[in-house]
Amino acid sequence: MRGLASYIVGRLLWAPVILLAVSLATFALGRFGPGDPIRILQGQYRDPEQQERIAEELGYHDNFFVQYWRYMERAVQGDFGEGLSPRGFQVNDVLFPRLWVTFQYNLLALIIIFAVGIPAGIWAALKQGTWMDPFTIGMLLFPASVPVLVIIPVLQWLFAVQLGWLPSGGWQVHEFYGVEIGILNIHIVLPMLALTLPGSAGVARYMRTQVLQVLDDDYVRTARAKGLREFTVVSRHIARNAMLPLATIMGFALVGLLGGSIFLETLLGIPGVGEYAFNAVFARDYNAIMAIVLLTSTAFILANLLADITYAFIDPRIRLGGGVER
Amino acid sequence: METRRLVLVLGGIAVVLVIVLGGLSIAVLGGGSGSGGGNKDKATPETSPLPERVEGELRLVGPDPLTLDPACASDASSAEYIMEIFSGLVTFDKDLKLVPDIAESLPQISDDGTVYTFHLRRGVKFHDGSRQVTADDFKFSMQRSLDPDTLSTVGEVYLDDIVGAKEFASGDTNDVSGIKVVDEYTLEITIDAAKTYFLAKLTYPTAFVVDQREVGDSSCFRDTEWTLKPNGSGPFMLEEWQLGQRIVLTANPAFYLEPKPSLARVTYVLAGGSPLVMYENDEIDITGVGINDIERIRDSSVPLNAEFTETASLDTYYIGFNTQEPPFDDPNVRRAFAMTIDKDVLAEVVLKELVVPAKGVLPPGMPGFSEDLEGIPFDPEGARALLDDAGGPGGLGDISLLSSGRGASVGPIIEAIQAMWEENLGVTVEVDQEEFGLFLQDLDDGNFKMFDLGWVADYVDPQNFLDIKFHSASANNETKYSNPEVDDLLERARTEQEAARLDLYRQAEEKIVEDAAWIPLYHGKSNALIKPYVEGYFTPPFVIPNLRYVSLTTR
Repeated sequence: MRGLASYIVGRLLWAPVILLAVSLATFALGRFGPGDPIRILQGQYRDPEQQERIAEELGYHDNFFVQYWRYMERAVQGDFGEGLSPRGFQVNDVLFPRLWVTFQYNLLALIIIFAVGIPAGIWAALKQGTWMDPFTIGMLLFPASVPVLVIIPVLQWLFAVQLGWLPSGGWQVHEFYGVEIGILNIHIVLPMLALTLPGSAGVARYMRTQVLQVLDDDYVRTARAKGLREFTVVSRHIARNAMLPLATIMGFALVGLLGGSIFLETLLGIPGVGEYAFNAVFARDYNAIMAIVLLTSTAFILANLLADITYAFIDPRIRLGGGVER
Repeated sequence: METRRLVLVLGGIAVVLVIVLGGLSIAVLGGGSGSGGGNKDKATPETSPLPERVEGELRLVGPDPLTLDPACASDASSAEYIMEIFSGLVTFDKDLKLVPDIAESLPQISDDGTVYTFHLRRGVKFHDGSRQVTADDFKFSMQRSLDPDTLSTVGEVYLDDIVGAKEFASGDTNDVSGIKVVDEYTLEITIDAAKTYFLAKLTYPTAFVVDQREVGDSSCFRDTEWTLKPNGSGPFMLEEWQLGQRIVLTANPAFYLEPKPSLARVTYVLAGGSPLVMYENDEIDITGVGINDIERIRDSSVPLNAEFTETASLDTYYIGFNTQEPPFDDPNVRRAFAMTIDKDVLAEVVLKELVVPAKGVLPPGMPGFSEDLEGIPFDPEGARALLDDAGGPGGLGDISLLSSGRGASVGPIIEAIQAMWEENLGVTVEVDQEEFGLFLQDLDDGNFKMFDLGWVADYVDPQNFLDIKFHSASANNETKYSNPEVDDLLERARTEQEAARLDLYRQAEEKIVEDAAWIPLYHGKSNALIKPYVEGYFTPPFVIPNLRYVSLTTR
């Protein structure tokens, strides 16, 4: 266990260094890249003198490192400054609710995807050689091969316009002890279909491959030879070992929790972070871009760390101490 | 076989999951509608998945505003809300007639045309009812739009005709000398020349009144939280602004103009969605129709067709040339390019009659618009002759068209125009697509040969198109078009009156079109599907306060 502890500490010490590099690069890209937020606001009414004056007032003319320091000093205290959409509001007040929305629907989708994909993958692997295997995977692959831009209008047409069973999207919240929850009402059904139908195939196929790999392993044969019930063999010996590599996938999936899909959010009217981030780039909304990049990089670092630790815990070989240094 | 158990278990997991999730949502839904009002549920046998509708509520999908501060709004999507929440001295009514708003009548204008005296309506109150709107509030609000500390990008655009405005905006003075408070209800505005279009500029939010007690020293970029609950004076009050999610307006019962607002509430969904689907699913009451659905809606056998309306909007889409650099410094080359675009095909085939072909710069409906203007005709043969005289296609060098976009295809219009030039003129034109920020930068730097863009009226006056886009000294003359004759006509038109003035603009437009600084392509139309129970709604050609004309009959 000492190996693991020092590994975690080492990784945590690297985090600020990575964040520093990421923030510096992003900040520089904004300040030195082409395009100017004030010019974009002016649109077709050009006024170079006014543009200069406002830029001066907002501090865009100060030395780059002065600007960077001024921003980061506030950012490390959790204050990401004022944004441009809407103009003059604290980025925190706009971004955090959106991140929360995106996080909620992504988390629910992740749970469903794994809950459908894992059993489906195991089932397909055990049925290898029969028609059930390609049928199961094929059923899941079918929606996965349709672009989300197509699948959403089709789902809307079917369930909202033709059948009238579901609202065409939207985001309705219910308050529980002061927390706004938006994934416990009928408005979430269509977005969930759009997210999980294509998503489950990946997990199922991955799971199937893993199960097939362990299926013929000695310990499985031994378990069967011992006369264990088939259910025990599958759940204890096959599934458990096959699920190990899923921890890695989980790491990436967790990072994705904060990433909003621009298509999904726009077509379904979900006020998440996807469209906000997209527009922030085009408006040169520096403060918003910085906040999004810093938060997602932090999440990325933490999620990867978490995945590694989980991996270390479930893989007995790593737990014994040898293979943590990679 | 044991595998059968496995099937049961795996299947069971999936079933349990569905039941748990489904049960949770049903429980929440049930709880939700129970507290919302159980009676209605019993009345309708099928439980509707839609959110319950408030009596007298109009539901719309709206654009996400960038600001609700009148001093700062530079975009139509912000102005749409500000026009309903705030109000100014004058406004446009539903017939696009300039009418008094908080001013009790149109101003008295001095004989030399420079001094405007406004008498304010008495008893007009801010939404919270605590205070009357006075001349002092107007001076404060207009000065705030111009104040360099407000950091507005539009204050000067609309108010710089006022004497002393430019000096104040650049921080040289502490007061706009041209705005004078005569008494509590009398305001006197002096402008620098007898510009008849000045009054139209006052209908824009930068001249609207705000409550000085709440705006404090907020700027467009800082401390804007007051706009979450602004104390305006317009026909509707902002009940709720959930950033990025929704805006809810409620009627201002004390509104001073007729008709008073009749809608109890107006709810805008800001998060987007698929408006046509939402409309068909009865989630919203009004929606626009895009090019992909227009043929279906136009089909008169479709029930929706009866709910469809179209109105012209005051805008012009065009291709602009860099008139200072070869090859387009030669008017004949520009004409040749203009003569090879078949605008009827563009409007009817490519854009499926969502637009009308443009002959000149001014859109129909704009004062000064001329039915008789022929424009440059579609004439491929004549074009080839012109181009041959100018040195032929070989002498043009590489030609590119600067276009703004976000990385998708350049769209059917530009593709069609490219093909027309290729076919009719034998010229291959590359398209440089850039996102808007870069596009503007290249326009500013004159770093283009051609570009395509649209211009939408900010106020109903030909000056807004012709003077701003074609006077050689205008900052917004991207084509750098310069014709002393046109300059002269435009300058005289600034201070001329009535018909003579419009005539000057017609002459100027004729010359501009002949010189082909722009190829005017088409004028847009705005369209809407409107539910039959919505009465009085219309899509204005540009942003005006129009919700107070709307009422609902029972569904």
